[in-house]
Amino acid sequence: MTKFSKDTFEKSRRSFLIGSIGGGLMMAFAPSINALEVASGGAVKQLTDKLFSPTVWFEIDTNGMILVNIARAEMGQHVGTAIARIVADELGADWQNVEIKHVDTDPKWGYMVTGGSWSVFQTYVPMSQAGAAGRTALIEAGAKLLGVNPQDCKTENSMVVAGNKSVSFADVVKNGKIDRVFSADELAKFQPKNPESRQLIAKPSKALDIPAKTNGSAKYGIDVELENMVYARPIIPPTRHGCVVRSVDDSAAKKVKGYQGYKILKDPSDTVQGWVSVLADSYYGAVKAGNALQVDYDLGETANVSEQDIIAVGETLAKDKTSGTLVVDEGNVAKAAESAKTSLESIYRTSSVLHFALEPVNAAVEIIDGVCHVHCGNQWQSLFLPVVAKAMGMAEDKIIIHQYYLGGGFGRRLMGDYMIPAALTAQAIGKPVKLVFTREDDSRFDSVRSPSVQQMNAYWDADEKLLGIEHGAAAGWPTLAVAPGFMPEGVDKKGKYDPFSISGANHWYTLENHRVRAINNPLAQKTFVPGFLRAVGPGWTGWAVESFMDEIAHKQNVDPIDFRLSLLDASGKNAGASPVSVGGAKRLAKVLAEIREKADWGRTLPKNQGLGIAISAGQERDMPTWGACVAHVEVDPETGAVKVHKLTGLLDCGTVVHPDGALSQTEGSMLWGMSLALFEGTAFEKGQVKDNNLNTYTPLRMNNLPILDINFVQNTEFPTGLGEPGLIAVAPAIANAIFNAVGARVRDLPIRPKAILAAMPT
Amino acid sequence: MIEFLLNGKKITSDAEADTPLLWVIRDEFGLKGTKFGCGIAMCGACTVHLNGSPVRSCSLPVSVVANADIRTIEGLEDQHPLQKAWIEHQVPQCGYCQSGQIMQASALLATNANPSEDEIVAYMSGNLCRCMTYSRIKAAIQDVATQSDSVVQIYNPKTEAKRTQGVS
Ligand code: FES
Ligand code: FES
Repeated sequence: MTKFSKDTFEKSRRSFLIGSIGGGLMMAFAPSINALEVASGGAVKQLTDKLFSPTVWFEIDTNGMILVNIARAEMGQHVGTAIARIVADELGADWQNVEIKHVDTDPKWGYMVTGGSWSVFQTYVPMSQAGAAGRTALIEAGAKLLGVNPQDCKTENSMVVAGNKSVSFADVVKNGKIDRVFSADELAKFQPKNPESRQLIAKPSKALDIPAKTNGSAKYGIDVELENMVYARPIIPPTRHGCVVRSVDDSAAKKVKGYQGYKILKDPSDTVQGWVSVLADSYYGAVKAGNALQVDYDLGETANVSEQDIIAVGETLAKDKTSGTLVVDEGNVAKAAESAKTSLESIYRTSSVLHFALEPVNAAVEIIDGVCHVHCGNQWQSLFLPVVAKAMGMAEDKIIIHQYYLGGGFGRRLMGDYMIPAALTAQAIGKPVKLVFTREDDSRFDSVRSPSVQQMNAYWDADEKLLGIEHGAAAGWPTLAVAPGFMPEGVDKKGKYDPFSISGANHWYTLENHRVRAINNPLAQKTFVPGFLRAVGPGWTGWAVESFMDEIAHKQNVDPIDFRLSLLDASGKNAGASPVSVGGAKRLAKVLAEIREKADWGRTLPKNQGLGIAISAGQERDMPTWGACVAHVEVDPETGAVKVHKLTGLLDCGTVVHPDGALSQTEGSMLWGMSLALFEGTAFEKGQVKDNNLNTYTPLRMNNLPILDINFVQNTEFPTGLGEPGLIAVAPAIANAIFNAVGARVRDLPIRPKAILAAMPT
Repeated sequence: MIEFLLNGKKITSDAEADTPLLWVIRDEFGLKGTKFGCGIAMCGACTVHLNGSPVRSCSLPVSVVANADIRTIEGLEDQHPLQKAWIEHQVPQCGYCQSGQIMQASALLATNANPSEDEIVAYMSGNLCRCMTYSRIKAAIQDVATQSDSVVQIYNPKTEAKRTQGVS
């Protein structure tokens, strides 16, 4: 399997094929350098034989329409639009003529994952180069048609232009015979257009997927219909792991009209343990029959686990300074602790969080001629395709996952676990099956954001100089659950750790002595499948780091912004590296200095109101989006209720490829941050989450919408991601604002009014 | 057998009387624009108009709509000013909630062509958007609201003016 890394695509050396095929012009990456060597024919032959393995490929038809095929999941980030604009800009295409299509998985398409805010980051260079190669081929063919020298040509508005002569892409495609292979080396020589000559990138634009989302025609996984399909609903067992079905009593279910029986699922992949699916000729029939079914289980060992049990394990581990794996070990923290004159210790906790993507997970499956077709929206097809194969006892090349719009991803659909019960049911009954989770089923089967416990220690010498900080973070680890092979080794070589669960603790503040321990919480790991939830680790590490920085600043009696700036000196490892993190902590300092002006930091506010600051450099150190948030809150000192008046956000993500899309993603992610800070959070009770629908799980709605003031630093640096970083700083900014408003330091997420009242100074 | 108008067309359903209207619309008549989110009338993804009023079809037994006039997102036929405003303001992210948002908002404007900000917030807060596109939803509604009366006329081209006024 390809290594799971955001650099995979960028560093892969593929050649690029351009050829006239069936009246159109097709352009695609070759599968790999080796495959190219094996292939005897030129681009046309390879393309005709479908010997290409693109993550994205494009076609121009004889009308000049440009179709960009995209193997990434569309879940609201308008990813197709951003990627298509990179290509179209380099081609010199007329944006009106560009369409996108989301493709199915086929193993040969290469590694398919959409997550970690990587799409634009990963594709920027290869897509620019592919577009430039396309431009070169169009110019060569166009120059021939015009009878001019290719050097004298350029492209614009889907035309090849030489002085006052021009020919449209459509005519080039119609009349030119193109058969061109660009080697990886040739491709690498193309530099992305310089910013001044860009026509599309960083310019305002409308997302191509939006019109279909205003009239009901956008097709999601849940909208799939297969001929002769049977509707199914899963019965979720009481524990995630280890349940065994003892018996099923369907006498009451039999009274439901259209009931077609049930199946006890046997899953060789062990994804679903102790599952039953209920069948009916309508979905409502399956829901009702499911409610009427009595299933008796041998329970898994976590049947009585509570949130508090998980937190208690985390606390013990976080406290024990020998636990976990070292991820950062600068200087000598132990010595700093010994020599310290004063110190500060704070424990931060975050509770379980649901994804609650509005479209409940679902999949429709049919097996045709020995090939298993799975229809659903998914973010990480390449991870779960082999799991489906294992569950079905079929070869991987006999599984195809068909992609649809995702009714929300947020990391939930990185897990393709919901495909398994659908596939097993289809196999068991020998008919096409559409299996839809009810909302409650979806919540109970969620791969929740793990509860976390973090212990922070700071040490000062006799001169009140900050000596160092120690950080231990205990949580369930998603990567350990689904892709343990991707975990790197700690700096102390004591074991492996989940980079996504600790990212953010390795921040950009320069500290002489700094130690970070990544600790797995085994009880969390056992009780549920820890999930990737928008921003993943920084969702809790950012909470601890940025709250603690504030505590330190207040303890030192320094303005929290001044304090942070003093540590953002961009020295040593914090200097950054070209091109992606060029500037390093300096860019973060700049963002901080600018937001101070924007938010009018330091002004006097009415009683019980306050401003709070926090910064972030998500998603990871080697792909940082530099960000800061100032929250303006008001606390009711009687009830502890928090009203957020305004969130000011400032982000530096390099070149903003699709500005409105970037703004929209950041509006969403900042409000997610606020929702997670104040409105969400659930708890395990008897081995499962206790909140599973909107009657008790209460994400933010329009009536709590604050004023949003979001800006992007304008520069032309390498573009990084945006889907998640906006979320990270919001919760600590709100907590820090609460402290400034009423003097209450809260350390648990979500922030509950009771906790504020309890923390109020008397 | 239950008979009702679906986007102006008379149809009959032989679904069980207690079947939520949502599944009848989606699975019997194939109109997939109306979505399933929570099933307990708390997210609004399944919002349709019943005689002009917004209702949560996930929690409405089909028997209740006998002889009623049901309109879904498809019934707006891409003609509603809100749909244009939704594109203009680039409202949708994943888009899953947006049929329900538009149906809820169009019901608001049908009865109150020029709502205040507070009225918009009060009317729309029953509709969850997990992608949190709220500020754009609000802006798009405000935009159409300021174009005022035209809304009421364009709202439902196929039925008589009386009904387009809603059931106030
Ligand atoms: S699905 Fe009907 S309100 Fe949520
Ligand atoms: S746009 Fe995704 S739920 Fe509203």
